[in-house]
Amino acid sequence: MTDCGHADRLSAYYDGEVPEPERAALEEHVRGCPLCAAEMACLQRLSRLIGSTGRMEMSSQALERLHQSLDLQPKIVLLHLAEVFAAVAASILIVSGVWLWRISTAHEAAGQIPVWESVAVAPQDPSGAAAQDQLARWIIQDLSRKNGHD
Amino acid sequence: MATASDRWRPTDVELVHQIRKGDPSAFHELVDRHAPSLFALAVSLSGHAADAEDIVQETFAGAFRGLGAFQGRATVKTWLTRILIRQAARHHRAAGKRKTTLASLTEESHSDARGPSPQSAADARMDVTAAIKTLGPEHQEVVLLREIQGLSYEEMAEILEIPRGTVESRLFRARRELQERLKGYLGS
Repeated sequence: MTDCGHADRLSAYYDGEVPEPERAALEEHVRGCPLCAAEMACLQRLSRLIGSTGRMEMSSQALERLHQSLDLQPKIVLLHLAEVFAAVAASILIVSGVWLWRISTAHEAAGQIPVWESVAVAPQDPSGAAAQDQLARWIIQDLSRKNGHD
Repeated sequence: MATASDRWRPTDVELVHQIRKGDPSAFHELVDRHAPSLFALAVSLSGHAADAEDIVQETFAGAFRGLGAFQGRATVKTWLTRILIRQAARHHRAAGKRKTTLASLTEESHSDARGPSPQSAADARMDVTAAIKTLGPEHQEVVLLREIQGLSYEEMAEILEIPRGTVESRLFRARRELQERLKGYLGS
């Protein structure tokens, strides 16, 4: 092991994961530093040792069992259909959302109570002929505005 | 003589598109391509071929369920390896009791690895496997992804969802630990 100050970068250098120009500088350093050269050799031996544990091969029977178990998963066609249905459902939700929003906006506009309605439900003035005339005029004005007559 | 159709081999991403269109054979093609290397990694992570089979099966089942979420930002190999690492961790937690026993066994093997070791290849394999097992899970992952799978730091960072610098420091520390534990074999 080395403690010459480059130890923490040697592992990445060994893996070819150090970018230029640091890589070239480390290469130059390792050539002249016995400690780092020994560390590089040690990393190589470690890789070989781990590699020698052997890569466990998957047997053809195990691969066949895997295919069989995956065949029991929901059919791929269903997955495709689920994706299509999800897209359709999302579209319906968006359209419905926009429609509901527009309806509620229209209701809010319609929710403004005309003056004549407020007056009509207000307690009657017992002396009231003049008030009734005024009320009639408001009703006519309001209906005319709604029908586009002025 | 090979025809054009014989030579054409869909990429992994093309296979994913075919699966989404409802082609079951594309899914089996993807399994054939990636199962062997995923199995090797699963064996290294779990220590048992039978557990590894379960982990690989759960990995592909999970990948199948999550196909809709795959956006192609990572490679299919990276995506599958990420799922496998999670499945292996889940498997490890589920089999906690058995793993505790295994850990105590590997501790014993580990102490053997410090002394003058028998030089047979089989013993070396056992000692190296035991030494890797004594590493913390985070260190095991980076060592196996690098030394067994040959992945780049960038790929490991993506799979483990950690910064590239963390991959580098974990791998450095993991190797230091292994060098210490296997010094009988490394001559250092």
